[in-house]
Amino acid sequence: MLKKKLSSRREAYFFASPALFLIVAFVIFPLIYSFYLTFQNYDLAIGPPSEFVGLENYEEMLDDRRFWRSWLNTFIIIFPSITLQLLLGLGIALLLNRIPRGKAFITSLLIIPAMVSPASAAMVWRMLFGVKYGGINNALMQVGLMDVYFDWFANPVRAILAIVMVEMWHNTSFMMIVLLAGLQSIPPDLYEAGEVDGASTWQKFWYITLPLLKFTMIVALLIRMIDLTKIFGLIYLLTFGGPAGSTQTVAFSTYLTGFQDFRISYASALSYVIVVGVFILTLIFQKVSRFREGEEA
Amino acid sequence: MNTFSKYRLQRQIGMVLTYAGIAVALIFFLFPFVWILTTSLKGNEDYFTFPPVWIPTEPSLAHYYRLFTHGNGWLYFKNSLAISSLSMLAALLFSVPTAYSIARFRFGGSLFSNFLLLLRTMPAIALVIPIYVLYSKLGITNNYFGLILLYTVFYIPFAVWLMIGFIRDVPQEIEEAALIDGCSRLQALLRVVLPIIVPGLAVVALFAFITTWNEFLFAVILTGAETKTMMVLVASYTTGSPTDTFYGEASASVVLGIVPAFFVAFALQRYLVKGLALGAVKG
Repeated sequence: MLKKKLSSRREAYFFASPALFLIVAFVIFPLIYSFYLTFQNYDLAIGPPSEFVGLENYEEMLDDRRFWRSWLNTFIIIFPSITLQLLLGLGIALLLNRIPRGKAFITSLLIIPAMVSPASAAMVWRMLFGVKYGGINNALMQVGLMDVYFDWFANPVRAILAIVMVEMWHNTSFMMIVLLAGLQSIPPDLYEAGEVDGASTWQKFWYITLPLLKFTMIVALLIRMIDLTKIFGLIYLLTFGGPAGSTQTVAFSTYLTGFQDFRISYASALSYVIVVGVFILTLIFQKVSRFREGEEA
Repeated sequence: MNTFSKYRLQRQIGMVLTYAGIAVALIFFLFPFVWILTTSLKGNEDYFTFPPVWIPTEPSLAHYYRLFTHGNGWLYFKNSLAISSLSMLAALLFSVPTAYSIARFRFGGSLFSNFLLLLRTMPAIALVIPIYVLYSKLGITNNYFGLILLYTVFYIPFAVWLMIGFIRDVPQEIEEAALIDGCSRLQALLRVVLPIIVPGLAVVALFAFITTWNEFLFAVILTGAETKTMMVLVASYTTGSPTDTFYGEASASVVLGIVPAFFVAFALQRYLVKGLALGAVKG
């Protein structure tokens, strides 16, 4: 018995070790190395040798306005984005849940934006928003709603609105498909019972649908928050952080620090703050999904 | 009777509004694709006219041709295909045994699965900085192999996660029968489990392919002139003056960049909820 247990344990390691080796070599080791770098002043623009500077990089962060601004910018983008995605996604999911035929086909069509890369999504919209010859300006000129070519990215507010809109186009269907799955798992007899009791459509939504969908919504929102904290490609192609740094998100300003200013050590320190932020969100996500599983079981 | 017909009328109006809402959603989500496709098919003369041309008068593939012959479009398209396919295969190769180990031996317990979850949400920007430094020291930036390895590793947590479910669905009795007949565990995995989970493998493979195809951050930092991927090519059109050929080539490159997404959206229909929720696709 013991012998069998030991051999199965050996087998378990045998099967898992190739992937574990890669993860250690390409994720764990580099992360430890970059943590070490945060205590150095490694700067590719100046060049080696670098030396130990203690907590200097972390101290610099406290007074770095660009760092604080980048977190503020990220929050400013995250909250309207996830709110719009939730409302629109829920709305479309409710509509799709009502139709008798063609649900799968229409869902596949609607999900396509979520399958393209942030880079492609941003480029499509960058061209649509284009000052001259862009589809939006052209259409508005044609119907006479506008008489000058409008620059949609000219000021910070409009640039942020444009990013939120593209993000909404890109990922609302993720919310939609998750919520639709949630809606379909609600037992129909609950609604029938509600109808017998004379509940209106609105009451059924408020007292049956929403409470049963609550956890699905929270989980989906957390996934979007984790992804949006890391938003990069969309920013890179749509605004490149401009105008005047107003759309520099945390990942993007870390990228600029590391690969434009070449301040590798400082960028590593900045990236560790993102790691901690995402780590916290992931823990919350895990707690919530555990809780949901427990409740369903 | 009267209330009944009133009820029916209400229902019908409700259905009409439902379909109208879905139609609006379809237009909003799909119009940009239609626009970018028609833009890529337009002749140069169509870009600068007013009123604007929405449907190209003489659709042509001239921009695609130019992209492939004058620019490096063909090279970067091939790069993306090769990098995505090889990372996909490598990710399968490494994650099947790991998933098997977790599904059958409960390898690492819940601690290990939490660890995988953390890896899956790991910000790429935190990883790319040390990887860039290390790759520079090893001289493997601008190298296919370095990028493929990185994609493989980055995809393993997701692939393992998804695969565990597929392996658990295989009845253990079949394997035990094989073991009694004298198969080793490895043989049981290769000859018994693997053939059964082929559909699952295809799902994981397609997700792996599209995720790698879509990836941008690693690609923009770790590739050079010869190793760029389609996404880096698309991004290159954000700088430069918007002349006519520029507009045409930019839109053609975007169209080529999103073609795989269309296939995957339809091929993976049933698995999209699970896959997207677990964080496939996003680069």
